Amino acid sequence: MSNRIPPKPKSPAKVVKRIIIAIAVIALYVWTITSVNIDWGKIFSQRTIDNFDRIIPKFFDPAFGETGEILIKMVETIFIAYTGSLAAAIIAIPLAFLCATNMVRNKFLNTIGMWILGAVRAFPEIILAIIFVAAVGPNPFAGVLAIAIGSTGMLGKLYSEVIEGIDMHIIEAMEASGANKLQILFYGIMPQVLPEFLSYAIYRFEIDVRASSVLGIVGAGGIGTLIHFAYSNRNWDEVGMILLVIIVTVTIIDQISSFIRRRLV
Amino acid sequence: MIEFKNLSLTYPNGTKGLKNINIKINEGEFVVIVGLSGAGKSTFIRSINRLVTPTEGELVVDGENILNHNGKSLRELRKKVGMIFQSYNLVKRSTVLKNVISGRLGYTGTLKSIFNMFPKEDMELAYENLKRVNIEEKLYNRADELSGGQQQRVSIARVLTQKPKVILADEPVASLDPPTSHQVMKYLKQINQEDNITTIVNLHFIDMAMEYADRIIGMRAGEVVYDGPASEVTEQTFEEIYGRAIREEDMRGGEENE
Repeated sequence: MSNRIPPKPKSPAKVVKRIIIAIAVIALYVWTITSVNIDWGKIFSQRTIDNFDRIIPKFFDPAFGETGEILIKMVETIFIAYTGSLAAAIIAIPLAFLCATNMVRNKFLNTIGMWILGAVRAFPEIILAIIFVAAVGPNPFAGVLAIAIGSTGMLGKLYSEVIEGIDMHIIEAMEASGANKLQILFYGIMPQVLPEFLSYAIYRFEIDVRASSVLGIVGAGGIGTLIHFAYSNRNWDEVGMILLVIIVTVTIIDQISSFIRRRLV
Repeated sequence: MIEFKNLSLTYPNGTKGLKNINIKINEGEFVVIVGLSGAGKSTFIRSINRLVTPTEGELVVDGENILNHNGKSLRELRKKVGMIFQSYNLVKRSTVLKNVISGRLGYTGTLKSIFNMFPKEDMELAYENLKRVNIEEKLYNRADELSGGQQQRVSIARVLTQKPKVILADEPVASLDPPTSHQVMKYLKQINQEDNITTIVNLHFIDMAMEYADRIIGMRAGEVVYDGPASEVTEQTFEEIYGRAIREEDMRGGEENE
């Protein structure tokens, strides 16, 4: 007779489940908001407005006189990011192969690789920087190490996903022609994964420039050192200038990197 | 010469891929294996270069039982037995030349091949083989810039560069249109006749099997149900192999017009 869609079957159990989930989510929000003690009165108080009044205008009146010194430190920051991400781009390769289930057919080894990468990813760069400053002293090398280790976690994970996505038929064809494992790696696997590896490494460099800007705050070199000094002395106009340089540099690097990455893949 | 002696293959999940196969394929023969999909054609062909390993019986290639080969001896076997695939299996981002020269990997030392140091004769052989399949002008193009038929010709050149004694082709024309299919089969046939390379091709197109094969082997459910010269095969034979009436989809049609 008619062509109506049959009604969706209703189950009371599902409705109850949804109500419980909704209550739980709302309760979680109420709990978190009440326990961080938001003082609404303080946010809109005269004092806050006065403080902002003192600092914000200085940001927009940056200390151009300091440009030279700031640029030198900015370049150092980029070098830290570059060296660190380059090291990570290389260290991540063997770890990625270890994690890739189509390369190492051993669940146990795959899991170990995943754990290593996961453990490394769990550390924020700034914590790694504190550790390395303690280990090698307060200099840019500590920053390089922090960036290198911090980036390896992410790159290794992304690389291993690239490796797992390759066309295994090509590997089969090479096996069928009598090539050995190393030859298959260089002729069958590398051409498939290298452009993506490179693209991710450049993307990570982009992130590392931002990350290494703050490493100096804990003494690991780069422009963060200047932020630390300027902030300690309440030189807000200098902080403003540093921020300006960081913003311009990061924007330029983002543009260049996305241009290169578009052409790569 | 290739000889299957009481050869069976049971997959780990219990499926029987091959059931007690006894067949002898002579040097220089052009054999076409026909059968519906799932009949065991692929398993049959892949046993010969040990991409799959039969579980019982003996498989003799070039005077050796290959079932226990591993590591080095397996690579030696595979140097002698070239293979062509349905999906061409070229490295898409590499050039045509690099794909073809990769056929020489089995003959080249690991370090030399990593640094791309192939002997001059090998490079010339690769170019020569590209000429044989009329695709030499695409030498430095990336493989993914080529059409399907062109890619399959490159993969034929790659297999030739391997200087094999046997060529296995697993559904080499299944992804191609009728004229290109005939072109690819003609190259295979020509190579078989000129170089006396034993050629074993999986096909499910009846008309192509009858046109190009010297000998047809019919398979159904992992068993050989027909084996005879192509000249004696009729549509009736195919109905027996397939276990059903012939349909239009079993024909490739479209003879290449030159």
